[in-house]
Amino acid sequence: MSRTADLHADVGEVLLTEDDIRAKTAELGRRITADYAGRPLTLVSVLKGSLPFMADLMRQIDLPLRIDLMEVSSYGGTATETSGLVRIIKDLSASISGEDVLLVEDIIDTGLTLNYLVRYLRGKNPASLRICTLLDKPARRLVDIPVDYRGFEIPDQFVVGYGLDYSERYRNLRFVGVLRPEVYSEAG
Amino acid sequence: MIEEPVPSSRGPRPAFAHASEAELARILTYYDVRWEYEPDTFPISWTLDGEVVESFSPDFYLPDLDLYVELTTLKQSLVRKKNRKLRRLRELYPDVRIKLFYARDFRMLLLKFGRLALAEELSGTTGQATPPRAPSPGAASALPGASGTGDASAASRSPDGAAGRRAPEPSSTGDAAPAAGEADDAVGSAASAALLAADADAGRTPRGRRRGRRRRAAARSAAQSAEAPTHPAGAAPRGQGPVPSAGTRPA
Repeated sequence: MSRTADLHADVGEVLLTEDDIRAKTAELGRRITADYAGRPLTLVSVLKGSLPFMADLMRQIDLPLRIDLMEVSSYGGTATETSGLVRIIKDLSASISGEDVLLVEDIIDTGLTLNYLVRYLRGKNPASLRICTLLDKPARRLVDIPVDYRGFEIPDQFVVGYGLDYSERYRNLRFVGVLRPEVYSEAG
Repeated sequence: MIEEPVPSSRGPRPAFAHASEAELARILTYYDVRWEYEPDTFPISWTLDGEVVESFSPDFYLPDLDLYVELTTLKQSLVRKKNRKLRRLRELYPDVRIKLFYARDFRMLLLKFGRLALAEELSGTTGQATPPRAPSPGAASALPGASGTGDASAASRSPDGAAGRRAPEPSSTGDAAPAAGEADDAVGSAASAALLAADADAGRTPRGRRRGRRRRAAARSAAQSAEAPTHPAGAAPRGQGPVPSAGTRPA
């Protein structure tokens, strides 16, 4: 299919292979299972980018758990319009009060979204709230938030694949790769 | 209609020196991160007489994170001076947390939000200044010498007398031992700025050294004629603490 060929061609370098991701996800799952030691756990994931990681990670955690999904609006304001405030597009479907919650993220870069979500979730009085991310891009961190479970620290490059998108594309790639700059330069 | 971001704290809308700063303010507001625009000025260089000749005003202060953020949309090759100032600030005020947001960081941030075209529009050596606004009550008008990069000299700020949050005093471990500094007076005049500019690229090559000597001589001459009338008689040194900048800081 030509679309698949285009997707692969747009990626300049494969940063993490499917095997890398699988191995790391299994490792994180073992750590989480050990740390929570039989306590029930609620995984909260943020649509849409975290979906593949969440799906793989939950199957590596040997605990009684439930999952929930959230979606928040992304900044898209321009100089000519009011950008407003971040909105919860999809809220949690059940209460997390008194529960151990693990927030599952695909990538943390500036930390702006995560900072917002952490404050939002803390307001719902969970027993504990920890953070797990597959990718961490610390070079671009604006808001420092302690990360409890980190898969890979990656360089400051624009990455796509395994849930991560550019203009809603490339999410279905099985690996994480660096998008060729000309792809987004051409697009403007 | 352009919607200007409003700082989280009470006070007037700030007059952003650069459109990229206004955009970052919008992003911070969007993600509910409280910010203040150029609330403090940190003296970073003094004459032997204790007069402030160079200072640094980070663009943003994020009170909840106790973090200053300096945004530059200059090309990477042009940020040497800003990096030097940042190093100096860290030497003198080790307890001050500050992050420099480079043009590349800003570009990647807007790319993430699908606003790369906007990043191109706002980046470069000058960028686009935000449109002028009528000054709000208590707000400073455009500051003389404000470069849009947040590194205006001390004298480009006039005292506002507001009870501002004060960052720590310079550390005694810094390699400068400032005696006293009246950051609000006119020591950071155009003449002083010219002196600093002359120092910036002088000395690296013989030609640069000669050019630097000529520039410094011209700047000293300008300083002699410019400084006398701008120093108010009897102005008392106020110490070396960061100076709340005028007007732009919400009360």
